[in-house]
Amino acid sequence: MRRALAALLVATSASGWPLPAAADCPLDLGRGTGWVMFSERAIVAFRPEPLRIEVGQPFSLLLNVCTRRNDPAELVAVDAQMPDHRHGMNYRPTIVPAGQGRFRADGLVFHMPGRWELDIDVRAGSEVERLSHEIIVK
Amino acid sequence: MSRWRALLLVVTLLVGAGAEGWAHLQWPEDEVRAIRAHGPWPPPAPVDPSNRVSGDPAAIALGERLFNDARLSGAGTMSCASCHQAERNWSDGRARARGRAGLDRRTPSLWNVGQGHWFGWDGAADSLWAQSLRPIIDPLEMAGSTGHVAALLRGDPTLGCFYRRAFGTAPGSDDEALLVDAAKALAAFQETLVSPRTAFDDFRDALVAGDLAAAARYPAAAQRGLKIFMGAGNCNACHFGPRFTNGEFGDVGIPFFVRPGEVDSGRLGGLAKLMASPFNRLGPYSDDKSGASALRTRHVQRLHANFGEFRVPGLRQLGDTGPYMHNGHLATLQDVVRHYSKVSPDRLHSDGVPLVRPLGLSADDQADLVAFLRSLAADPPPRPPPLTECGAG
Ligand code: HEC
Ligand code: HEC
Repeated sequence: MRRALAALLVATSASGWPLPAAADCPLDLGRGTGWVMFSERAIVAFRPEPLRIEVGQPFSLLLNVCTRRNDPAELVAVDAQMPDHRHGMNYRPTIVPAGQGRFRADGLVFHMPGRWELDIDVRAGSEVERLSHEIIVK
Repeated sequence: MSRWRALLLVVTLLVGAGAEGWAHLQWPEDEVRAIRAHGPWPPPAPVDPSNRVSGDPAAIALGERLFNDARLSGAGTMSCASCHQAERNWSDGRARARGRAGLDRRTPSLWNVGQGHWFGWDGAADSLWAQSLRPIIDPLEMAGSTGHVAALLRGDPTLGCFYRRAFGTAPGSDDEALLVDAAKALAAFQETLVSPRTAFDDFRDALVAGDLAAAARYPAAAQRGLKIFMGAGNCNACHFGPRFTNGEFGDVGIPFFVRPGEVDSGRLGGLAKLMASPFNRLGPYSDDKSGASALRTRHVQRLHANFGEFRVPGLRQLGDTGPYMHNGHLATLQDVVRHYSKVSPDRLHSDGVPLVRPLGLSADDQADLVAFLRSLAADPPPRPPPLTECGAG
């Protein structure tokens, strides 16, 4: 888990993306034990709840999604997989919008120790884009 | 963490290895962390919010009586204890259980069953009480009936007395509700079946506390076996945590044909049964009105990969009471280790890095792994005698 905490920023494609002013896109969820990811179209700040992800224990994600052109941001899906073993989770998360770009994803379980890839699908305007973040659980 | 720091934190144990002389085993910080995850033991007592009598002493007493009461079965000849025998680690020593008819699966041990979240080899039940209800009315197992169990609770003065103490009212007129209550008392009893502390637990605690002298008392063969378990064997990918199971499902290459042309689909069929059951955590009989404890049931998904998957069994208190696996396919712990050493990769279709692959262990390595598995068992302390008199209270 420590390695994941250290990896604060992971960009799937960060080229040419000017960071918005903090006032435009709240990044509070990304601070401390959270993470921030950004791409050409979107910026996602999130943290797990509970803060420490334990192998085999259900957890949620609290997310904040912004888009570059201030299109309405929509969180389409949250999923995770172990790329090394090519399997996903045994549980399908559900997403609850909380307004103003905030979302909550419930029902995630990382059932094995090791490297997980969190896949967050965001709709910015007409495009859906996947932002991925790596988390190592022990 | 830098390499330098890792080296500084390496723990070296000087181990007396009997006739082999002294063996040095090193436990770097990341391995100590992995070992730490297999404890502490015993774990905190489980509390199941879907069962309002979970942890209640009167319910435990009622559950223990019911567990040993053959009158729950249709013919009056079979109790839970006929298959789940205390002196056989709560199993029966058979490859496949025998109820009213022969079953296709082995009777699992009930040690630490209260810590689980999916029950049965296929996880068809999402609570201990729902799992405990099934064998009573299953025509292949005890072949009892709802009305019959309800009549027993209403008619037997001692059972009725314990029922009143546990549930706060006399047995009511709703037969199905009484059957569920009987199952909840059975669950409360089974939650008390906690396997004893073992040589491994002393080692784990000593290592975590940095007490190397105490840690060195753990036999060298078991220590070497533990290295294989966490290292080359990758066993703790699935056999994770204090019970040595992540509570989920896997396919380790055990044949799943039950008869020529007929397979046990394992988890895939289990999920279908779970969703169809009126006794799951989403149904009216859960006492957790918040629904929070139904989280896994709400979110679990049925995947093609579930075909032929079976629940990852815990590895505590296996002892030498085989056979092992969901269908008793392997007779001894040596056979299990040999299986993981030689398993055919063709049988385990995996596109990525396989979780289970033929390990090709030497005879010495296999013996060490068996020594480690044995170190997860100890003599259980005698059970306190069950309450026989209900009395007032
Ligand atoms: C005929 C033998 C037999 C009898 C009688 C029997 N069981 Fe079982 N038990 C089994 C078998 C076989 C399984 C595995 C079932 C499966 O995977 O579908 C099992 C599974 C279980 C499990 C799940 C354990 C786990 O680790 O998931 C529990 C709990 C359990 N039984 C409790 C009971 C109770 C309580 C009774 C009495 C009401 C009972 N059993 C009667 C054979 C029996
Ligand atoms: C992919 C997950 C996975 C890995 C990795 C794995 N196991 Fe298992 N193990 C299982 C499952 C699932 C079963 C039950 C399979 C069945 O019944 O078909 C099992 C069964 C067992 C059993 C029998 C227990 C019983 O009560 O019947 C033992 C012992 C065991 N494993 C030890 C090991 C060892 C030692 C290793 C490493 C060499 C290992 N396992 C690696 C998932 C795994």
